[in-house]
Amino acid sequence: MIKLTIDGKQLEVFEDTSILKAAEKAGIWIPTMCHCDYIEPYGVCRLCSVEVVKGKRSRIVTACNYPVREGLTVRTNSERVKWIRKIIMELMLSRWPNVPAVKEMAEQLGISKPRFESKEKDEAEDACILCGMCVNVCNDLVGKGVLGFSKMGIEREVVLPYNERSEECIACGACAYVCPTKHIKVKSLEYERGAIQDWSLASKTAIYVPTMQAVPRVPTIDEASCINKQTGGCKACQTYCEPGAINYDMKDEEIEVEVGQILITTGYQLMDLTKMPQFGYGRLDNVYSSLDFEHMLNSTGPTNGTIQCKDGSVPRAVGIIHCIGSRDENYHKYCSRVCCMYALKFAHLIKDRTTAEVYQFYIDMRAFGKGYEEFYKRLLDEGVNMIRGKVGEVTECRVDGEKPFLKVACEDTLIGKFREIPLDMVILCPAIESNADSSDLKKIFSISQSPDKFFLERHPKLDPMSTMTDGIFIAGCAQGPKDIPDSVAQASGAAAKILSLISVGEVAVDPIKAEIVEERCSGCRICNNLCPYGAISYIDEKKISFINDMLCKGCGTCVAACPSSVITGKGFTDAQIMAEIEGLLAI
Amino acid sequence: MAYRTYLMVCAGTGCVANNSMKIKEKLEDELLKRGIHNEVSVVTTGCNGFCAAGPLMVVQPDGVFYQLLKESDIPLLVEEHFIKGRPVKKLMYTPPKEKSSIPKMSDIPFFANQTLIALKNRGLIDPEKIDEYIARGGYEALAKVLTTMTSEEVIKEIKDSGLRGRGGGGFPTGIKWETCKRMEADTRYVICNADEGDPGAFMDRSIIESDPHAVLEGMCIGAFAIGASDGYIYIRNEYPIALQRLQVAIKQAREYGLLGKNIFGTDFSFDVRIVRGAGAFVCGESTALMASIEGKPGEPRAKYVHTVEKGLHDKPTCLNNVETWANVAQIITRGASWFSSIGTGDVSEDAWGGSKGTKVFSLSGKVNNTGLIEVPMGISLRQIIYDIGGGIKDGKKFKAVQTGGPSGGFIPESLLDLPVDYEELTRVGSMMGSGGMVVTDEDNCMVEMAKYFLSFTQAESCGKCIPCREGTKRMLDILEKITTGEGTEEDLVLLEELSYMVVDSSLCALGGSAPNPVLTTLKYFRDEYETHVRDKKCPAHCCKALIKYSIDPNICVEKGHGCGVCSKSCPDGAIIGESKQVHYIDLMKCGKCGICYDSCKFNAIYIE
Ligand SMILES: Cc1cc2nc3c(=O)[nH]c(=O)nc-3n(C[C@H](O)[C@H](O)[C@H](O)COP(=O)(O)O)c2cc1C
Ligand code: SF4
Ligand code: FES
Repeated sequence: MIKLTIDGKQLEVFEDTSILKAAEKAGIWIPTMCHCDYIEPYGVCRLCSVEVVKGKRSRIVTACNYPVREGLTVRTNSERVKWIRKIIMELMLSRWPNVPAVKEMAEQLGISKPRFESKEKDEAEDACILCGMCVNVCNDLVGKGVLGFSKMGIEREVVLPYNERSEECIACGACAYVCPTKHIKVKSLEYERGAIQDWSLASKTAIYVPTMQAVPRVPTIDEASCINKQTGGCKACQTYCEPGAINYDMKDEEIEVEVGQILITTGYQLMDLTKMPQFGYGRLDNVYSSLDFEHMLNSTGPTNGTIQCKDGSVPRAVGIIHCIGSRDENYHKYCSRVCCMYALKFAHLIKDRTTAEVYQFYIDMRAFGKGYEEFYKRLLDEGVNMIRGKVGEVTECRVDGEKPFLKVACEDTLIGKFREIPLDMVILCPAIESNADSSDLKKIFSISQSPDKFFLERHPKLDPMSTMTDGIFIAGCAQGPKDIPDSVAQASGAAAKILSLISVGEVAVDPIKAEIVEERCSGCRICNNLCPYGAISYIDEKKISFINDMLCKGCGTCVAACPSSVITGKGFTDAQIMAEIEGLLAI
Repeated sequence: MAYRTYLMVCAGTGCVANNSMKIKEKLEDELLKRGIHNEVSVVTTGCNGFCAAGPLMVVQPDGVFYQLLKESDIPLLVEEHFIKGRPVKKLMYTPPKEKSSIPKMSDIPFFANQTLIALKNRGLIDPEKIDEYIARGGYEALAKVLTTMTSEEVIKEIKDSGLRGRGGGGFPTGIKWETCKRMEADTRYVICNADEGDPGAFMDRSIIESDPHAVLEGMCIGAFAIGASDGYIYIRNEYPIALQRLQVAIKQAREYGLLGKNIFGTDFSFDVRIVRGAGAFVCGESTALMASIEGKPGEPRAKYVHTVEKGLHDKPTCLNNVETWANVAQIITRGASWFSSIGTGDVSEDAWGGSKGTKVFSLSGKVNNTGLIEVPMGISLRQIIYDIGGGIKDGKKFKAVQTGGPSGGFIPESLLDLPVDYEELTRVGSMMGSGGMVVTDEDNCMVEMAKYFLSFTQAESCGKCIPCREGTKRMLDILEKITTGEGTEEDLVLLEELSYMVVDSSLCALGGSAPNPVLTTLKYFRDEYETHVRDKKCPAHCCKALIKYSIDPNICVEKGHGCGVCSKSCPDGAIIGESKQVHYIDLMKCGKCGICYDSCKFNAIYIE
């Protein structure tokens, strides 16, 4: 620790602390325009200039990067310092008169009108003020070095190499985050091209609390977007986590658990809306999927729950289009079952939170559940416009002098007319689909899928939560589209089934099983894939096939197929059957 | 083989540009033709400094100096001088306003008043032959250092000599070495700064072109003193000849074992690499230079932690200028007391107490003899300009001399007896700098000059910090206003205030010194500024917007009889008048090029 004096105040700090930090400790404010805690001080705005006094002589240094030494005397507010800051602010104001950050600082320092006239004046509110923070954060913190300066002197500008989109950019957004004027904006290329579905309306950080309801409510690091995982740099969260809880070396683990029964509740995915380009999703502003809209409605969401267009304005009219990809010969023939009702909920909330007109474009209203029809009636009373008919396309229209709006072209089958409705926002209700990887699960569990790719139940009426494989149960949208009450009911039923087996403690199985004579099995594996119950596996060490008694249903497929005739049914050996036949014939 | 005569043909950049290589070939041809090629040898040398007289040649051993040679002069020259023994007077140097020529180089005032240390071998050796350097005592100092001295002794010798940085700052070299040596580190570097970005300056280029080994030897000694084993020479790519000579010199030194492992059989190893710079002025600044060597953008950083502590690759680094390095070997050979006997002040107590040795200047502007000169510290500006420079061209009146490169200040006539000394020059608002010296006369407008130099530094500002980037541009805008007649008195106040602020708060010395030309002209020539803003006139008739060409009708008809030469030469067709009648200038059309002014034989045209 060393002693120094700032503006007459004595204080003790560690050697090599910057004057800025030392002053902060002493509660003295020094203006800065190019400093941020994440990066080494750059020292270019010179606004933090202070006077360092040595004997009779004093000199001007920048507080952000001047390391303090024993006995230093600093003046942060002398006439000379004020004069320097004043001219710096005048220079900045004359060049960037409308940037809020500059204006605020000038105001704070009591400077109103600059005495200079700048030929390079940039009137934009989000002009780049060349503080260099983005460049430094990208180089030093992120370790990517995508941003840099080009040209010299007054022509200096921040650029990407060759002014092209850089392949090196990992779109971490650090530059946009530190930019004091919001000059840098992050654009999601993927979203722009519509290649992947972007379910969020706003970017989230690489370390985040999954949801407000998450248990335990601790942050998690998203490996795909964590800068440290990609470049080894950054580590900002580690620097700032006081308890030191951040551990970058933690790895995803695979855990093996032995269980007797499994309930598959893998849920569903929403159809990729970019497959139906006529609706403009990912292409036109203000066309959202229902999930995007839920996100927007959420009070912890990107807009804190207010319904607004991309430009921040409140929509004047909103359209909700049902059955996108459902009940459609080209996509899914089935009904997704939930859309009608959530679409009504949306309409209700839009009516509740805005003054917008709401249009529902539907094929049939399927308000089949308890209280659903009543809700539908209520909405009709609330004045929601119901248009029965399929929507042809959504387009963007521009009328001179007005902001662009969306136009929905549809056939209104109730009045038998083709209609075009102007809207500010369109919400699409995409079909519910079985997960893309459900075929893999199907193989793993030896269960079946119906033609619509949802898992097949043992019996649609009598046993809708069991599968053909004992001990494997299904519930919720893994089995087929359904709403929350139905999913809960089905899952509860499945759980009861599972519990009833557990409480017994043992399972009774049919005695009729197939059996392999180990010594004579040639290990040809023909039977392995034939077994509809996945009961036969191959033992590598012994090079023979093996039948799991618990899974075998004694159907006899393998018995018939075995080329060496080494599989027999227990109690149904060839000899026994022959004897029975003989017995019959003897009668 | 020994020759009776050596013809030292200058092959410095200036003379090469004026065709000296052709002269050399022609000489060789002619000697061969006359059959005396075994008696007379042609040698190419580095720059002699008197570039205005190029292509030039010195005949040794008798020291006859020939200048402004043309290929067609060669047969006569060979015939007369080298066969008949009659030196050719018309090819010799004749001082301005005098009749008789001066045959001997050493008698020509330009050379006679110089003291050569850094340039001691200029014009005397072939820079591409290490043997010639060694023959003139080269690498003796290195041998002495490596075999008989400790690094502390070397540092002490340099400290005692009072040698200070010749690159601009004038930092005492010995102290720099000592601090660098004191830092704890496994690696240290020495660097030679050959960036030389000042427009019109060519001291460093000349030293390298005429004596590259002097620089290498100095660096070697420095490396031994601070304990470095790697050295860099940062040289701008626009110096192809210097670059090539350095490459040759490094190769030869390596072959002779003077660079590389175990030099002179000791366990000291040292090697040098050349780094080529793209020629930005700011890259001459120490931290920018190091960043550039590291492959980063050439931008300065704050030097609150000095480069001797954390320089190249964050290791202690000793950076010196070419000329500084070129002085080192001779200090070692001839001793610190010899060196410190030249110059001003006393450095035995305070390293900043005086300026010792010599300084190379590139003398340009309105003097008769422009070129490169090496003068002892303490010589007065008057001596330089009038004795060496031969006074002001065309008998005009001296106005000011600017020293120290583009960011140096202007020194007025009243201070002409100022000795050349770091502190003295700084005291009057200028600086030693790297050795630029531009002389101006009554025809130069000081506002215009300040604007000219500021426009250079403004364009070369790296743009990193606000005061320099924005401030110098605004200063330039104000100067532009003043020179176009739109300036106000408030502008002068603002200009001065801004200048002081840029000096005070810029990040590096580029911004810190860029306003010097403005500040000194404001100080010494304020009346000129005031005439510009108050009367909207340019006293030196330089600022185009503020002058007006007119024809004196009386002279025009009486003396010139309306000859009409002016109207024929006017590119804008702005001069009207019948033959034998008075001519007039149509001010609406006049582009103020001044061609008519020069073309009128009767001086009927005058500037208002
Ligand atoms: C803008 C700027 C340009 C400079 N250019 C040069 C240069 O071209 N050559 C040089 O030797 N020093 C130059 N310097 C000075 C160097 O920063 C440094 O002081 C010098 O190389 C140190 O060597 P010395 O102590 O031998 O003078 C420059 C300084 C500044 C601020
Ligand atoms: S003073 Fe000029 S050259 Fe130096 S860092 Fe600032 S902008 Fe760059
Ligand atoms: S904050 Fe120190 S220079 Fe900008």
